[in-house]
Amino acid sequence: MTLKECFEALGGNYDEVLGRLRSERLIQKFTLKFLEDGSYDLLCRSMESGDYAEAFRTAHTLKGVCQNLSFTRLYSSSAQLCEALRNGFTPEAPGLFDLTTQDYALTVAAIRDFQASIPQ
Amino acid sequence: MKVFKNRITRFLSTSLVAVVLLCVCVFSFLAFHMNQESTQTINQVGTLYMSNMSQQISMHFATTISLRLDQLDALVTSIPPDSGRAPNELYDELSYQANIRNFSYLGLYSTDGTLEMLYGEQLEVTDPEPFLASLNKGEKKVAIGTNADGEKVILLGVSTTYPMADGTVCVALVAGLPTSYISETLSLEEDDDQVYSFIIRRDGTFVIRSADAYRNSYFERVRMLYDDVGGMTPEEYLIEFQSAMNDRRDYSAECVIGGDRRHIYLTDLPYSEWYLLTTMPYSTMNSIVSGLSLQWGHTALLGGTVLLAALLFVFAQYFKLTRQQMQELDQARQDAEAATKAKSEFLSNMSHDIRTPMNAIVGMTAIATTNIDDKEQVQNCLKKITLSSKHLLGLINDVLDMSKIESGKMTLSMEMVSLREVFDSIVSIVQPQIHTKNQQFNVSIHDISAENVYCDSVRLNQILLNFLSNAIKFTPDGGSITLSLYEEPSTLGENYIRAHIRVKDTGIGMTPEFQAKIFDSFTREDSARVHKTEGTGLGMAITKYIVDAMGGAIEVNSELGKGSEFHVTLDLERADTPESDMILPDWNMLVVDDDRQLCESAVTSLQSIGVKADWALDGESAVEMAEKRHQARDDYQIILLDWKLPGIDGIETARRICKRLGENVPIMLISAYDWSEIEQEARSAGITGFISKPLFKSTLYHGLKQFVKTDTDAPDVEAADSYEQLNGRRILLAEDNDLNWEIASELLTSELGLELDWAENGQICLDKFRQAPAGYYDAILMDIRMPVMTGYQATEAIRALDREDAKSIPIIAMTADAFAEDVKKCLACGMNAHIPKPIDVREVARLLEKFVNPSSL
Repeated sequence: MTLKECFEALGGNYDEVLGRLRSERLIQKFTLKFLEDGSYDLLCRSMESGDYAEAFRTAHTLKGVCQNLSFTRLYSSSAQLCEALRNGFTPEAPGLFDLTTQDYALTVAAIRDFQASIPQ
Repeated sequence: MKVFKNRITRFLSTSLVAVVLLCVCVFSFLAFHMNQESTQTINQVGTLYMSNMSQQISMHFATTISLRLDQLDALVTSIPPDSGRAPNELYDELSYQANIRNFSYLGLYSTDGTLEMLYGEQLEVTDPEPFLASLNKGEKKVAIGTNADGEKVILLGVSTTYPMADGTVCVALVAGLPTSYISETLSLEEDDDQVYSFIIRRDGTFVIRSADAYRNSYFERVRMLYDDVGGMTPEEYLIEFQSAMNDRRDYSAECVIGGDRRHIYLTDLPYSEWYLLTTMPYSTMNSIVSGLSLQWGHTALLGGTVLLAALLFVFAQYFKLTRQQMQELDQARQDAEAATKAKSEFLSNMSHDIRTPMNAIVGMTAIATTNIDDKEQVQNCLKKITLSSKHLLGLINDVLDMSKIESGKMTLSMEMVSLREVFDSIVSIVQPQIHTKNQQFNVSIHDISAENVYCDSVRLNQILLNFLSNAIKFTPDGGSITLSLYEEPSTLGENYIRAHIRVKDTGIGMTPEFQAKIFDSFTREDSARVHKTEGTGLGMAITKYIVDAMGGAIEVNSELGKGSEFHVTLDLERADTPESDMILPDWNMLVVDDDRQLCESAVTSLQSIGVKADWALDGESAVEMAEKRHQARDDYQIILLDWKLPGIDGIETARRICKRLGENVPIMLISAYDWSEIEQEARSAGITGFISKPLFKSTLYHGLKQFVKTDTDAPDVEAADSYEQLNGRRILLAEDNDLNWEIASELLTSELGLELDWAENGQICLDKFRQAPAGYYDAILMDIRMPVMTGYQATEAIRALDREDAKSIPIIAMTADAFAEDVKKCLACGMNAHIPKPIDVREVARLLEKFVNPSSL
């Protein structure tokens, strides 16, 4: 599985990220690093505990990371969640959180597949 | 309005009448009251005056009587009864002495009350008892008596004991004086007959009376004559009068005799049982005082009149002012109504204008839907929809612009503008429309000393587009439109040029009336011939406003049926141009155009970029000139040919030149028309390429550059990847997310050569900045949403620090929020700029270069 295929699988924009980061090595490095990024866990925790201000901030961070990596799909759902939480809790937020979780799972799965295909 | 006016008038007149009435009342009351007061004062003054006068008279009486009594007393003393002289001798002596002292009568009074006259007629004492009683007591006394003729005589008695003829001893010596003596001495009868006095007895009978008082008793006179005495009937008055007599006190009253008011004063006289009664008619004092009151009344009246006049004047002025105000109000209302009317008319026009393209869009969409499989039809529909949408957009833009202008929100953003680019784009924008209407389009540019100027390019475009689209709109098919631009030195100084832009057409023109209001908002020539041409009518108002805002001027020249010319003058600041870059080889060129000015201007421009050029005004002479050169083996390197030429046109000319010279010489077509329309024909005629009018220097340069033999043809060096200036700069990056930090760090370090320090949140960022020496960091890149302390707070805290670089260090926000209000908030809390995520190295580099001070390295 190539990196480009991985991006296709997770709904990202490979050309765009290549335009910015300019090197496949870097993209690969950061993409794999995404697996270690704690923003999503923080988001889950703050959603569970009902701390919506913190949830907004973590959603925002997740959105920023996705923007940097051009994970368009996850960016879109996290950005929507972010807006739903910008001024505190709104009824849309849980639905969007579920959507974000789905997209996150999809993204992580794609990256893991890619990771598995890299010859050690 | 009218009702209001009437109300004011009514109010004014009512209050005027009320005030006048009030004035009259107050002054009448004052006059009346003062009159009353003065009457009372006259009474008081009268009483005072009368009492004084009566006392005077009374004292005078007392003095006179006592003098006479003293004389008599002295007579008795000088001739004592017990001198032992004979009675006759005594009598003679007494008579003699009395005569000397001017007594008219002299006699001796016996104890039984008979009077034995020593000389003078026999007298009768009128009221002997009190006289006798007093004399018996040895007092001096005055009484009245009558002689044989009945005339009254004043009797003065001094008790003494002279022998009488019958041998008895007398009680007193009595001397007589005529009453006239008293009345004369006391001046009881005044000459002017104003003040007169009586002397009366207690029973009211007169002792001395004035001529008109012919009755015997004063009381009788009172009863007969007096109408009213101080509000009392005569009887009541008499009772009071008599009681005053009995008490021997002074008494004053006021009586009316025959309608004449008089003042009466009563006082008693000494040595007698008599009373002095003084009467003074009021008429005297009255006439004085009433003169005074009359004067007072006049003065009051005059004062009142003056006051009233003043009031009237004030009222009149006020009324006038009010009326004026009303008129102004009325005017303002009419103006407002006119404006509202204009706006509502405009609205209805607009609605109509909007509906037309909207209908087209709706209709075309419906047609496209029904013919969805007919590609050509759908394309046609889409084309029409596009056109209508553009038109609609134009309308809406105009309205938005106007509302911006009306609310004063339109601002100019001055930036470096290439007039060439502006004119190029304008020409290419209007070309299709001109082509459709088959109009002639001339673009003439000359005397351009500065191609690059500072101006708001969008607004400049708007001005040109407005004029041109109007010209196209109002010029019939086949008409001609000329756009020209030339520059001259500006009065603002060397850094400025004055640009003249003229747009001239041979259209329908405008009436003088319409010319006068063409730049007003919401107007449109309201005649049938214009109604079919659509537009908001705002274009000119907007244009005028923009030109005004740029400090320029607009002139209109128009004649109905002949065409219009708009002339805009703008003073524009020159922008530096790298002129040295624009150099072409020293070619020989030929410029062919029927516009002499254009030829000359183009030749001058070409010379300034190193090219020698000739020019020709028509095709034939151009062919000749080219041929001549060819024969001299000194061919033109390049020929510029106008398309539209008198006689043979550009394409034909090119064809002929190619025929004579072969295809060695590049021929460029210059035209304001769309190249694509004629490209095929032109190319087949041997034309190499095309340069679009207007012919700016740079237009020529860029159009001709391709013919330069390029061995030094370096590609345009994009400065994209050379950020040497940023190399080694130290940047503090606040970012809470590891991954984001790594990406940023990787990109900024490797690509820009920056040295990055990581702050995991706002607080750490603030601490790190605070602990570093001043100037250590060249800039801060700040994430906004961070735990502990947000980027906003961190920035505010840093800006508030008391150190050299706290205010000056560039802080650039890096955040995933890119809404306008986020950017605004960033700037509001002290940041210099805002970069949206994802991190774009070029954008970061551009901003850092902009804000980081190059000398600080």
